[in-house]
Amino acid sequence: MTTLTLRRRLWLSRIDYLFLIPGLLIFGAFILWPMLASFYYSTLDWTGFGENAKFVGLKNFTDLLHDEFFYAAFRRSFSFMLMTVPIQMLLALVLAIILNNKLLKLSTFFRAMIFLPVVTPVAVIGIIMVLLLSPFNGPINGLLLDTGLVTRVVDFLGSPTIVLWTLAVIYVWKWTGITLIYWLAALQTVPDELYEAAKLDGVKSWQVMVYMVMPIIAPFAGVIALISAINALNVFPLIQSTTQGGPFFSSEVMEVYIFRTAFAPASGQFPRLGYASAAGVIFGLSIIALTIVQAILMRRIRRKEPTHG
Amino acid sequence: MSNTFKGTPSRRAFLKMSAAAGLASFAGPLAALDVPTVAGLPAANGPLHWLDSGGQKGEFIKATLPEFGKVNGFDVVYDGLPWNEIGTILPLGIRNGSAPDTFNLPQGMEPSVALAEGWIQPYDDYFADIAAFKAAYPAGSFVEGVNVFGGKTYGFPFSTERRFNNALLFDRAKLAEAGYDKIGPELALTYDEMRDAAKKITENSGGRSFGFIIGGNQLGRWGDSVTMLAQRAGAKVGNSALIQGLDFATGEYAFGSDEYVAAVELLLAMRDDGSVFPGVLTINAPQAREFITQGAAGMIIQGPWNVPIWEATAPQFDFGVSPGPVPTADQQNNPVYVAQLPNTGNMMWLNKAAKNPHQAAAYFAWLGSLDGQVAYANVASCADPAIFPETIALADLSERAVQMLNMAERLVRIAPNPMIANPDLSKVAAAYVDPTPNLSQAIQGLFAGQLTDVRKTLTGVADARNKALDDAIAVAKAAGANVSREDFAFAAWDSSRDFTNDDYAAL
Amino acid sequence: MADVMTHKDPFFTPRRRRQLVSVLLAALSAIWVYPLVWMIFASFKPNSELFSNPGMIPDAPTVENYVRAWREANISTYFFNTLFVTVGSVVITSIASALMGYVLGRRPVPGRFAIMGLMVFTLFIPQGYTIIPVFELLTKLGLGQSLWGLMLATCGHSIVVFTLLFAGYFTQMPKELEEACRMDGVGPVKTFVYVMLPLAKPIIVTVVVMQSLQAWNDFLLPLVITLANPAMRTLSVGIYSFKGENFVDWGGMTAASTIAIVPIILLFLFLQRYFIDGLAGAVKG
Repeated sequence: MTTLTLRRRLWLSRIDYLFLIPGLLIFGAFILWPMLASFYYSTLDWTGFGENAKFVGLKNFTDLLHDEFFYAAFRRSFSFMLMTVPIQMLLALVLAIILNNKLLKLSTFFRAMIFLPVVTPVAVIGIIMVLLLSPFNGPINGLLLDTGLVTRVVDFLGSPTIVLWTLAVIYVWKWTGITLIYWLAALQTVPDELYEAAKLDGVKSWQVMVYMVMPIIAPFAGVIALISAINALNVFPLIQSTTQGGPFFSSEVMEVYIFRTAFAPASGQFPRLGYASAAGVIFGLSIIALTIVQAILMRRIRRKEPTHG
Repeated sequence: MSNTFKGTPSRRAFLKMSAAAGLASFAGPLAALDVPTVAGLPAANGPLHWLDSGGQKGEFIKATLPEFGKVNGFDVVYDGLPWNEIGTILPLGIRNGSAPDTFNLPQGMEPSVALAEGWIQPYDDYFADIAAFKAAYPAGSFVEGVNVFGGKTYGFPFSTERRFNNALLFDRAKLAEAGYDKIGPELALTYDEMRDAAKKITENSGGRSFGFIIGGNQLGRWGDSVTMLAQRAGAKVGNSALIQGLDFATGEYAFGSDEYVAAVELLLAMRDDGSVFPGVLTINAPQAREFITQGAAGMIIQGPWNVPIWEATAPQFDFGVSPGPVPTADQQNNPVYVAQLPNTGNMMWLNKAAKNPHQAAAYFAWLGSLDGQVAYANVASCADPAIFPETIALADLSERAVQMLNMAERLVRIAPNPMIANPDLSKVAAAYVDPTPNLSQAIQGLFAGQLTDVRKTLTGVADARNKALDDAIAVAKAAGANVSREDFAFAAWDSSRDFTNDDYAAL
Repeated sequence: MADVMTHKDPFFTPRRRRQLVSVLLAALSAIWVYPLVWMIFASFKPNSELFSNPGMIPDAPTVENYVRAWREANISTYFFNTLFVTVGSVVITSIASALMGYVLGRRPVPGRFAIMGLMVFTLFIPQGYTIIPVFELLTKLGLGQSLWGLMLATCGHSIVVFTLLFAGYFTQMPKELEEACRMDGVGPVKTFVYVMLPLAKPIIVTVVVMQSLQAWNDFLLPLVITLANPAMRTLSVGIYSFKGENFVDWGGMTAASTIAIVPIILLFLFLQRYFIDGLAGAVKG
């Protein structure tokens, strides 16, 4: 191949660059620029109104290190991820294995039912759940009282000790449908012959699953786990439409913290855009770090795989 | 929106109709009202967008403003939102240019701060004769540092602050059954009695109903209710915003005082007795108000605005009103304090970027006239009482509304307001950053059980707030303001009477 | 469990086992959709009944809630706002990411690895991180209170993922495709539109489905952009604020919610296959 000068190559690619423009504009405006701007904002003391921004260097970051609510929200975001992702993945996997059976006639129907919450807007789910879980004559509490499982009503969304678990269950309910689809897609890469051969050999079905199917779908597990984990960190809509982080911050995750600091401060306080940006920067960088760690781990696992044989 | 109702129906009939119509708009009955045509109004630039906190005054505005717009050739968009929504929506709207023409300021936001941040503008120039308009008001309605800044008029007052904002409202039958049938506007419960009553109400219902309910998701209710309880217990402290909990004798925040601690402990005691409606932490004040009419609870600490709402929406609900409870029976006549005569929460402010300032001002002019105030008082009743005292005689009031107004006359005092005494303090307010948790959040945390030691928590909030105020004073001073911590102390104040313009002059 | 289900047991034939599994699944499905079904029934209860009758079936069914929700909550406006934002962002995102994925995936453009690297780096940026600058940017561009602004910003959420999906897919396609086109004298734009795009149909379905779900469920961004302006609110924000403004009108809330979800649920049930295939494509890619 002849080596072309860079100018020549750029010129030859002019139409390709044209193709890139729309995507790069969106990427630049709504992802790249906000990332950089967040860094800049995080060095300001700024209410967001007018031109009263003041450069304060790293003060927002040092202040954040002394803000117990920031720590709590940060920790809570990751706890929430750990509370939901394993359950969601396991539940969806079990369902996927059952629904993957081609002889199960109503499989499509069941799949659709499980998927319905996924297409239901979160604001609607917020309303339903607040009503269903109401301690005053709510149907769930009514059921629990009637069956004698509890003797006193449970304040699912108002008790600081259980609110996060309640939200985790609602979250799993809403999103399991999508994880189920991912697992089904993974299972479809398993050739049918495998099951048939195993059957002829008289291998028990759980053995087929554990020893033959699992290794095939293992690589997908990493991707699904990553997607699920990132989604679990973006749980703002559900929390904002049910508890708004309460009671007394006990369900305040990072994005709720950022929203509160930047857009919805308590009465008597001002929005603190710079401070909220600093919190966002720390949160964002942590997630990027998490992604990188996960990528490295997955690569390691993959490299080991052939030795498994 | 039909105009078939003719004549002038009474206020109560109007309210009943409003209730029947549910959430629908009910300009009908008031369409017969004589809203004036204003001459020389410039053409409107889109609809006049009005945002307030709703409630009883909102019902009046929602009914009359569109009518006023109709005869004067402009459209109206009215939004009545809860306070925490206003706190989110308004700043967002100001930032992206979609804020309403005129609005209530978010709770806890000092007007001087809104001014400094460029949210609001004076409306003097939109009036033909602003001086005459203001002269018709009762003395003390326009106050430099409250709604007047640098001689310009910014806040439009139409209701009075002399109101018992945190009264005890109760289900008469339930309280009587618990053995407290003499409680009323002249006789309040003691703390022990309240706790006992709450317990008995819960027991008497077999667990289907509870002694006490509060809209605990609406944060401000905690701080406001407890501050009222502390005032009734004898604390001479400010009632809201920057001066909430500020001891006027010393100029220091007094959340850690015995009065505050006892008030919070009363709430916690009722909680521990199992006498508090479960789920108070997830409901707001209007929901609590609704639940109590359905028999879910016996007592609530709330404002006079409940009276006309209940009388309209739940006529079968037999309730009584009483001043807030006091620690001991001999404290029955302890007053509660407000910061100035005009109600600043209800006050309307003109957006600096208002598209229709003339239209807004024209409606202000009508609502601030005797005609407008009488029409207003007929609907607002004791909920958001009209600021013109002469309207009380002309209004058609229910028995309980009269009781509420008399309670306010008897027990509400106008306390000194540092912002009036030294208008430079607005620069302190602008620099002030409220610490987290604030009083309301701390009480909610104590109630939810995440925080435990009452006195330590409240003292911590007071210390943080004292420090935040000192920091703000330092910032304001550095910017050239003539302020000091002494500006917040009024040691010579005689708390048995109103603090008047003469008292300010004598400072 | 496994032992019970072995073939040795004459009672548990594979057929019987499937029937049993079906019954269990039916029970699970019933529990799963119970909240939605409960809400639909509740929307026919008068407000006074909602808390006094925790049962599902209304004692005195009424359509009053719907009348009120339709009139007060402006559901129709919110619905069309959401539809506008969703459709617009789906169209823009699909086109932009397909173009970009095509170039990055198989064109020898100088700088493409730099772009790819940058994109991968930002792959999982949380919305909370970017929301403040996005809000400021839209305001400065004069799009801070327009549905167009919201639509454009909504495109930003997943464009990186979609571009990488397209890039990955296009990389795998045989090299000869463009060669052949060039021989035939077909220009690069036509090659892309008539040859490459039709071949990428599976990924297009994926992108359309994922972006639709994303835009339809989106909350934080529409909240900060449209909350202050009732005429522009999307369904999620509209229902959220309806709840915030009419907190004691439970019936109205459930009715508004039902109106909001019925179209999307019907749409999903009809287009289920595409939804499933589309989402499956995301993992396979």
